[in-house]
Amino acid sequence: MLELTGLARSFDGFSFGPLDLQVDDAVLAVLGPSGSGKTTLLSLVAGLTSPDTGSVSLDGRSLVGRPLEDRDVGLVFQDGALFPHMTARENVAYAADDDERVAELAAILEIADVLDRRPGALSGGERRRVALARTLAADPDALLLDEPLSSLDVPVRRRLRDELADLFADLAVPIVYVTHDQRAATALGDRVAVLRDGTVEQVGTPEDVLRRPATPFVARFTGSENVFQATVVEPDGGRDGERDSDSVTLRVGDLTLDVAADAPRGATVTACLRPSRLRVTGTEPTLADGGTNVVSGTVTRWTNEGDDYRLVVAVDDADLALVATIRPDRFEARSVAVGDDLSLSVPADHVHLIDDEAL
Amino acid sequence: MHRTESRTERSLGNRDWLSVAFLLGAVLLAYYLLPLVSLVLAQPPATVVERLLSPTVLAAIRTSLAGALASTAIATGFGVPLAYWLARTDGRLTTFVTAVVVLPLVLPPIVSGMVLLTLVGPNTLVGDLAAGAGLPLTRSLVGVVLAQTFVASPFVVITGRAAIEGVDHGLEHASRSLGKSRLTTVRRVTLPLAWPGILAGVTLTFTRSLGEFGATIMLAYYPRTMPVEIWVSFTTMGLDAAFPVAVVLVGVAVATLVALNALGRGPMG
Repeated sequence: MLELTGLARSFDGFSFGPLDLQVDDAVLAVLGPSGSGKTTLLSLVAGLTSPDTGSVSLDGRSLVGRPLEDRDVGLVFQDGALFPHMTARENVAYAADDDERVAELAAILEIADVLDRRPGALSGGERRRVALARTLAADPDALLLDEPLSSLDVPVRRRLRDELADLFADLAVPIVYVTHDQRAATALGDRVAVLRDGTVEQVGTPEDVLRRPATPFVARFTGSENVFQATVVEPDGGRDGERDSDSVTLRVGDLTLDVAADAPRGATVTACLRPSRLRVTGTEPTLADGGTNVVSGTVTRWTNEGDDYRLVVAVDDADLALVATIRPDRFEARSVAVGDDLSLSVPADHVHLIDDEAL
Repeated sequence: MHRTESRTERSLGNRDWLSVAFLLGAVLLAYYLLPLVSLVLAQPPATVVERLLSPTVLAAIRTSLAGALASTAIATGFGVPLAYWLARTDGRLTTFVTAVVVLPLVLPPIVSGMVLLTLVGPNTLVGDLAAGAGLPLTRSLVGVVLAQTFVASPFVVITGRAAIEGVDHGLEHASRSLGKSRLTTVRRVTLPLAWPGILAGVTLTFTRSLGEFGATIMLAYYPRTMPVEIWVSFTTMGLDAAFPVAVVLVGVAVATLVALNALGRGPMG
């Protein structure tokens, strides 16, 4: 168990913390933009930086004040930090007790055939593998990784990410995985902590963070591109009988939306909606989904994102632009163009509300 | 087509500047080399060999080599740790320490000799204590070493510091996070990577020690080092008598450069 309590450190122009986090023998993905304090967090745990206040303890022993060589905390640096004057084998052997351990780790990380190369002759992916093998060779009691997949080509990154997931599952130590990539964080983390300006905005399972973001920042940073303010109003009187008790009606401009959520009447809330949850129902306003939650608007931009198309739609009845992603086959069938009018169906179950009062 | 032309012009312009740069540099190179060549050519080899084998010259060679080796060893032993400390410490103190290290470089060597005499010379506390213990600090090989170390050691500190600063601090952090002590880290990561730069500093210190004259003559007229021997020959017997020793000194210095260069290439590949 790795426990950070009230950890704080201020620098020139940046203050980190105070921050509390617990990591049991699982993966905590720390997600945040650059400058949010991710690397500072790792530096404080590894011992590269000392905190102004607060404590770091690993399996019950305090780490603050200990030199980094006495912490048994393995740190995988962003660029690998391999020793350039040693071969890959020598790098791993530097931390390993014997040659058997080197061979074992080389097999696990699939670097056996590049062991005799110097770091300069390794590819980006191979360097990360060697760096990971070297860190594991020291048998750390906790493992910290600083953006280990950054600046890798997409296929290499996907493959390494899957392999990391398998590797992490076999390690019975606390793992802190720092990244600014939401996909890596939610794919690898058992829990995700979203960091902003040196403090934690939300900690939870990937599901929590993706579906129930605690703040508008978390929503935007984890891919809920549609984040807008709305007012909770009286439910539509005529339909009361069919309504769940935890369903509310929102007003945004002249638009009303029914969403499955609980919020006090009259409250101002922030609604969050992932672009992939919006459905394009037609180029003409229709009464699909029983006539509710259909929003008409005009396409102002579309981009091909590879796996899907991303549409930006200016909503007619509110000062609002919604982002929707649609599958290529649907996009092509419709031949969407800038200036087209179309309707979006907002699924009541997938709008998450943040009560602005609570922020 | 316009773009192609302008690119051609530009590359011509570059080549012209490169030629000019080389020609300008060549003037300086010629100025370095011509006096050396004329020195060697002016001396009949037989005369050089004859002077070389004279007991006084042989003694001077021995004194110079022994002194320079000792002072280089001392400068390296104390200077590389200081270089490491300077490279890995921030703050005002390092600025002050750097200024102190540079001091012997900016002092005229003869003034350095005078300064040293006020500390270790005859009729000083340190000088008398050492002499009383049978280890005279002036007019002795120890005096030669003291003079050479004072004047030549800043080279290994300054050059070594730059070399160590060139080693990514992250590599040291990586080594220590793998459970290795600072000392192991320095020995196995920092020094191997900084080695070429440190060796350049060692070479500079050694050759500077070998050629040291001003401070040495103040502290140790005897035993004579080669530069002192050259000066004595020049003042007592004239320029011609001094030349062969000068040829020997140049030869030893060049041989040192070649040997250390080869040593530097060896371990690093």
